[in-house]
Amino acid sequence: MKTLARCPRSLTSSASSDMDLATERKINEDLLRPLRQTSVWFFLLIAGLGIIVLAGVGSWMYQVWNGLAVAGIRWPVFWAFYITNFVFWIGISHAGTLISAILRLVNATWRRPVTRCAEVITVFALMIGAMFPIIHLGRPWLFFWLIPYPSERQIWPNLRSPLAWDFFAISTYLTGSTLFLLLPLIPDFALLRDQMRGWRKRIYAVLALGWQGTTKQWHRLEAAMQIMAIAIVPVAVSVHTIVSFDFSMSSVPMWHSTVFGPYFVAGAIFSGIAALILAMAVLRKALHLEEYLHPVHFQNLGKLLLMMSLLWGYFTFAERLTTWYGNNSAEMAVFWETQTGAYSPLFWTMVFCNFVIPFPLLAIRRLRTITGTVIASSLIVVGMWLERFLIIVPSLATKHLPYAWGAYRPQPVEIMITVATFAAMVLLYALFAKAVPIISIWELKVGGHAQPVLTPEEQEEQRELWKARP
Amino acid sequence: MEGATMKAIYGLYSDPDSAQHAVESLRRAGVADDSISVLASQPYEEYEFSHRYKQTWLFWIAAGGGALGLWLGLGLAYLTETRWPLVTGGMPIFAWWPNIIIMFELTMLGAIIATVVSLLAMTELPTIRSKVYDPEVSQGKILVAVENPADGEISTLERTLKGSGITEVKRFT
Amino acid sequence: MTHRWGMAVDLDRCTGCEACVTACRTENNIRIAGPEQSARGRAIAWIRVERYYEGDFPDVRVKFRPVMCQQCDAAPCEPVCPTYASHHTDEGLNAQVYNRCIGTRYCANACPYSVRFFNFGNPVWDRPLELPLNPDVSVREVGVVEKCTFCVQRINAGKEQAKAENRELQDGEIKPACVQSCPASALVFGDLNDAESEVSRLSRSSRGTKLLEDLGTLPKVTYLQRQF
Repeated sequence: MKTLARCPRSLTSSASSDMDLATERKINEDLLRPLRQTSVWFFLLIAGLGIIVLAGVGSWMYQVWNGLAVAGIRWPVFWAFYITNFVFWIGISHAGTLISAILRLVNATWRRPVTRCAEVITVFALMIGAMFPIIHLGRPWLFFWLIPYPSERQIWPNLRSPLAWDFFAISTYLTGSTLFLLLPLIPDFALLRDQMRGWRKRIYAVLALGWQGTTKQWHRLEAAMQIMAIAIVPVAVSVHTIVSFDFSMSSVPMWHSTVFGPYFVAGAIFSGIAALILAMAVLRKALHLEEYLHPVHFQNLGKLLLMMSLLWGYFTFAERLTTWYGNNSAEMAVFWETQTGAYSPLFWTMVFCNFVIPFPLLAIRRLRTITGTVIASSLIVVGMWLERFLIIVPSLATKHLPYAWGAYRPQPVEIMITVATFAAMVLLYALFAKAVPIISIWELKVGGHAQPVLTPEEQEEQRELWKARP
Repeated sequence: MEGATMKAIYGLYSDPDSAQHAVESLRRAGVADDSISVLASQPYEEYEFSHRYKQTWLFWIAAGGGALGLWLGLGLAYLTETRWPLVTGGMPIFAWWPNIIIMFELTMLGAIIATVVSLLAMTELPTIRSKVYDPEVSQGKILVAVENPADGEISTLERTLKGSGITEVKRFT
Repeated sequence: MTHRWGMAVDLDRCTGCEACVTACRTENNIRIAGPEQSARGRAIAWIRVERYYEGDFPDVRVKFRPVMCQQCDAAPCEPVCPTYASHHTDEGLNAQVYNRCIGTRYCANACPYSVRFFNFGNPVWDRPLELPLNPDVSVREVGVVEKCTFCVQRINAGKEQAKAENRELQDGEIKPACVQSCPASALVFGDLNDAESEVSRLSRSSRGTKLLEDLGTLPKVTYLQRQF
């Protein structure tokens, strides 16, 4: 019978005393290996992704030079791919918050190896998402007029506009989540300062800010993390609610819905967890982290994903039932476009990707393996992108006056920029994992995670023992 | 040994139990709590040596930062909207509904920034002067140090530190 | 007393000739999109004549409806503009300030009448078509949103003329380009605050309706229903 790796803190024999120096050294070695050793595949990956990103930047420059005529947007579909991507990436950024902050607040110990993977997704997804309001502008060189500063024009931004709210919300969330990522990095930078050599040692020494690890420092850090976790959750909820207000504050048919706030937040957490599972699976394989990212992590995240899939299905059903029952002519025109009309192939693909196929994969325990959750997550990422598209484009294409209806076709510029953002995300993530340990080393050690977490069979065994001796 | 002012004398312990023993021995030997520093690569919440300095103003500072952000948001909304009143959509010039969003975001931003700035100030990061440290700490050893020891006490301290299970006592200058 | 500009459109009189569309284009320096861009939905028409067909041959009826900016009193396009490019003036017009517009196109999406248009490219006029450009109206650059202004340049010119001559404005003195050019006199423009003006009388007509009235936008264009 294996000793339980997680002992409650009230017992005198603590979990961390199970970890001897040899184990601690092994953790250091394993998690620092990706920083020390680089294979040729890494350079090929970076080069390939870099080319795609550069192509995306070039496409955007082409668009800025020639105007938005080169894109597919038109009268009356004035928002399409770029805003879809904006909402999508801001949605992906909700992964880190849920996992890091909420699980930290409820003291779920299985979160420990996963937090930094998640927080990194948040920061980079936010940066990428925040680019899109600039990319889609007609005069992007004037984007700074959204910033409230005393200008010589003596005018300030219109604070009644949801786009102004977007600016405040995304800035706050980006600041908060970057700091949320950087604070627990300080002790790990100190570790890197000690373990690395050469020019990298100097950089890490600067980043470590002279961290020693005194009891006072640990206390303050943990208190600060607690406050940040409490603060970042309402900010994250507010951010995607405010993004949803971009739509619900107008009278466009099927946009003016009161459910959009919660709908978008649920969808964001849904797509965020899917992205996190994908990132973790790739890291586990690429960086040989099988001892740290266990099947139980994927199972737990898979259960959360299942819950979010059900929640997403519930919201989608409630919204559509209300629309159908209300039978408002303008809304029904949009409704039928998505159910049976031009957009119906995309709509039904979305339903399959978000709900029909993931549901059995995540609900049946035998299928909820790493492979199963990865398949479900990949489909969900596709499905959620389609969901954003289907919220935006059919409604704009089918507004109130039938004479003003129009069809949208994406153009190469938009497709290239979309692909480039996915490449940029992977590129940034790969570079980060090369520079910083992707699993939070000190948090892992605190959790006493050197020993493998019990598999379900072993948990069953323990449960029997606890029942025998209550 | 002679000549250079010693900033600290310390021992590296392999497990938290011996470190706790060392701290208690130092206290019994009459060393003030303020002079004892314990450095580790983890918080070691279960041990008493981690429980000093637990009181903190940080939560109040965060709340204060939030209040400051709230006032900034209210001020920004009120001043900018009334300075050049432009009618949009028949809405009132200054209305609570849209401005509450701005106020909320700036409140949270204030709380977050106040927390981080105070954290750095309280923990004295980034440091300019060199403070006691040993790279072995990141390999899992726990460092128990006595800062600024008087010259006459050094041998007593060495004995006390060695009495908790280590063979070598180091100095930090 | 401040003016409150409004319009009335008599759907019985409108023949769908689109003289208003042509006049508006000329008066307001609206850029030419060309056949390829128009097919891709980039054509700009501040006033457009919507054409709806009812019934099957030989009992087909065609209905024409000129639609321009309704200058709504509770305009959904105004609060959503982040730079105050779209706001309401004292005289009830929905102003579009091109210099403030950064091209988010939120206003264009929010407008239920789809009367807002975006400049997808810089305007190009082949020589000598730049000669008839109206010097009273700015030429919009790429990336800004534009729409019908009730020919605000003519309103301002009329007000200045009346002030210079030290007299009140007469009803019918100011005519936007569409109103001036309509051969059937289907379009009427005037001051809704003047109870005696023709547009005020027509707005009180029993045939009077507003477009998409249930949305609550409070439009200032009254459509007189077709009876024949």
